[in-house]
Amino acid sequence: MFKRLAFCALASALAGPVFAAPALADTMTMWVRASGANAAAHLVDLWNSTHPDKIELTTIPDNEMVTKLATGVQAGEVPDLVSFDLIYMPDFMKAGFLVDLTADLKANPNYASVAQAYKDIATYEGKLYGAGFTPDVSILVWNKDLFKKAGLDPEKPPRTISEIHEDAKKIRALGADTYGFYFSGACPGCNIFTTSPMMVAAGSKILPANGADDALTGDGVRQVLETFKEMWSEGLVPKSAQADNGANFTAMFKTGKIGIQGTGGFLLSELKHDVPDLNFGVTFLPGVQEGQVSSFVGGDVVAIPVGSKHVPLAKQFIAWELTDEAQLDGLAKNNILPSRPALADNKYFAADPRVVVTAKALGVGYVPWVYHFADMVNSDSSPWINMLQRAIFDGDVDGAIKEGREKMKAIAAE
Amino acid sequence: MPRARSLERWQGWLFVAPALVFVAVFVLAPLGQLVAMSLTDRSLLGGGKFVGFENYLRIWRDSGFWRALLFTGKYTLVLTPILMGLGFALALLTVDNTPLKRITRTIVFLPVVIGLSSSSLLWFWLLDEQVGLFNKLLVDLHLIREPIVWFVTADLAFWAVVISITWKVVGFGMVLFVSGIQSINPDILEAAVMDGAGYWSRVRLIILPLSRRVLLLTTLVSAIGSILAFDQFYIMTSGGPRGQTFTAVYWIYQNSFVSFRLGYGAALSIVLTLIILIFSTTQIAIAARTAET
Amino acid sequence: MTAAALATEAEAVVSAPHGRRASPIAYLVAAVCIAVIAIMGAPMALSFLASIKTPADASAAPPRYLPQALSFGNYDKVIHYEAGLATYLANSAFVAFLTIAACIVLAAPAGYGLARFAIRGKEIAFLVLLAPIMIPYQAILTPLYLDFAKVGLVNSHVGLAIVHTILQLPFSIYLMRNSFEAIPREIEEAAMIDGCSAWRRLLHVFLPLAVPAIVTVALFAFINSWNEFLAALIFMSREASFTVPILLVSVRIGRHGAVDWGALQASVIISIIPCLAVYLALQRYYISGLISGAVK
Repeated sequence: MFKRLAFCALASALAGPVFAAPALADTMTMWVRASGANAAAHLVDLWNSTHPDKIELTTIPDNEMVTKLATGVQAGEVPDLVSFDLIYMPDFMKAGFLVDLTADLKANPNYASVAQAYKDIATYEGKLYGAGFTPDVSILVWNKDLFKKAGLDPEKPPRTISEIHEDAKKIRALGADTYGFYFSGACPGCNIFTTSPMMVAAGSKILPANGADDALTGDGVRQVLETFKEMWSEGLVPKSAQADNGANFTAMFKTGKIGIQGTGGFLLSELKHDVPDLNFGVTFLPGVQEGQVSSFVGGDVVAIPVGSKHVPLAKQFIAWELTDEAQLDGLAKNNILPSRPALADNKYFAADPRVVVTAKALGVGYVPWVYHFADMVNSDSSPWINMLQRAIFDGDVDGAIKEGREKMKAIAAE
Repeated sequence: MPRARSLERWQGWLFVAPALVFVAVFVLAPLGQLVAMSLTDRSLLGGGKFVGFENYLRIWRDSGFWRALLFTGKYTLVLTPILMGLGFALALLTVDNTPLKRITRTIVFLPVVIGLSSSSLLWFWLLDEQVGLFNKLLVDLHLIREPIVWFVTADLAFWAVVISITWKVVGFGMVLFVSGIQSINPDILEAAVMDGAGYWSRVRLIILPLSRRVLLLTTLVSAIGSILAFDQFYIMTSGGPRGQTFTAVYWIYQNSFVSFRLGYGAALSIVLTLIILIFSTTQIAIAARTAET
Repeated sequence: MTAAALATEAEAVVSAPHGRRASPIAYLVAAVCIAVIAIMGAPMALSFLASIKTPADASAAPPRYLPQALSFGNYDKVIHYEAGLATYLANSAFVAFLTIAACIVLAAPAGYGLARFAIRGKEIAFLVLLAPIMIPYQAILTPLYLDFAKVGLVNSHVGLAIVHTILQLPFSIYLMRNSFEAIPREIEEAAMIDGCSAWRRLLHVFLPLAVPAIVTVALFAFINSWNEFLAALIFMSREASFTVPILLVSVRIGRHGAVDWGALQASVIISIIPCLAVYLALQRYYISGLISGAVK
């Protein structure tokens, strides 16, 4: 960087008034999706305060990010950097929307220690196109006060899906207003985030990578769905869950009336801020047997869209955000997970062991590498949500899995 | 004389020209591109090749689209009379300019100015089984025993959306009808009163017939709006349960922006536009004929 | 007779049963009015009450009608989001203003031409002008966006105003056409005898008489431009150019679709206020505007 500044200074001194002096400070534009905006802002603010070249952040509502980026690339209206839901990487990489970062990232020593899931999701045909940016990961939270009232050890979270069921039963017995468990029954994204890891922990694979690949393998899917179905039919879950498209995904646990719920690391700071009196614990999402754990490694990746006008500078930013300084002072300090799990045990997190657990969940988690993720999972008519609803609410677990498997493979084969 | 008349016609076109040019450039041209796109298998992520009428053939076999279209038709047929009937009744109620009636009119019109997505979320919140005040109100008034989960059955979800849209949009029709009624020549009405016609006779025999044009305009605009309904279902029902509340435009949205099938979505849009065109032409023809009577 | 006088007379004859004494019917009607106000106003009232609750209280289950403690936390969040409410308000207002101007400039002459000239193919022209509202709007946005990008009209408030005008033009033309049709022939003939050209007739005779309709066009153009979300998001690329609806969506939706109910209520109230202000200010013109605007 100094060399560049020195060169510029020399050039402008020599150029004289005839040539316009090159601007010493550039401004890069960056798009970030709304739910990652807070986290991104911390990093960008830190960059802006320590670099002459600034980044201007623009927040795009989550649901429109893909459309906006896709139409933007085709129209030539792109930002210099973009941060978006990592699950869309395969589609974007295949479409050739992103700049190849292989050389720069491979040469970066910090990149080696990034969580494997982030490296995998950003790889296409051997080349790298992005880096983990503002991670999020799914975890299990439980309400310690409700546990105590129900006669359960508040420091001992459920370690298997059946234990979740048992604990939920006891908490439900506390009263009409208290529920043992919660999940958003009409929200495909919430469930791929919090329910699928339990299936994966039990050994299942959920999504097919292509037409020849298999979907919903193993017994994990069935067992988890059976347990959910039982919890539902026993009334351990509020009735509103069936119609919840995600709107109440965080609101319900905050009411203090839910015993156990799958959620994301992002909820921790919200809980501490909005309901500081709620005593909660954090643990990994369990599978069927003790010791089986998993998580969904999500959040945003950062990449450079084709058409960016500041590619070298953008690459500098990506290199910078992987440094200890950025990860610790930008992310960890603000209760956001670093994308390098090695940094999980840091001074900022030391104060709250729950955050350490969340950061460690990055290391045990998975992220599916598939095309048409929206079609298969997030869409309101997806095989994923249809399977969940048919199995849990209609009670037909086996039929639901069979139908889901067929439809997912059909989409993957397109 | 004939020369003046053709000059007049010329001038007429000149006045209409700017708007026509505007529509040609900014609407018809993109529409043409949409038609072109519908003949390709273009993806949202770019690329795609010419496939002729393959997309249209696919529509023929797309049971999801026809289901959505049927649902949209049902929605339009149910909602439009409710909006028009209620709107007209409210107009009759508030046609005076007394302070109370003016306030009533304002309160009824107020929801019209809220954005559709805000209003849909507002109702989603009100109707929620856990955090919703609407349910709580019904329970407190002892009208129901426990809160209803509105969006779990297709029927309830349908009516929930109908209720929320009625609340939001009825003021639009009301205001149009009020001005329609207020513009009726008072001499006619006075004559009717002299002849001993009661209130309801006056409504039936004078006000309704003379409001025919407003009624047709409003019905047309309202119906087209319902055929193109999307946001309210996207936000409140997410097309559920089990895809039973997808509307035509929602289906287009799913195909174009979620499944990335932009070419196919374009074909769906053209088909929908043709349906609306036929519908509107019929309505306008009826209106034109009625105006002549 | 002026429109206003017409209105007063008509309403008096329409609804007054016998004389002006308050009758039981009048009480019943008043009671119905109050019921209507209560039912229609309740959601807004509840929304307002929720907006001044603390964020946690706003999503309480089961909910409470009244706030436990007053808090402006929700408003705070909306007002200070990203570029700040003032920026978005300014952008929205600017785009709305451009839309209103474009609608009036295009719709008034078009309505005049359709209403007052014996054009062959008038109905077809009218149908063509009505076309924009028949096309699913999400579908037309993509080709429009790619076109605008080629001519540099993206990320521009002018470009967005053009899109909003597209949506509003049909209704505006219809209103203007009907308004002009309602103006008596005698007035026009008098002007023609005086030697007024068509253009001057429009400017000096018709437009002044159609002010109420113009105001109506402006009101609806304002409301619809103000609340329009999708085009505003697709056509603008920088935070500082965004409009209010984008702010409202971003501020209330969290991860996985989780809704911040308190922020939602605050955003509903905030977005209503400008529209309500415009409506109240124009109500006088507005009501009588639709008289000549929409009726034979």
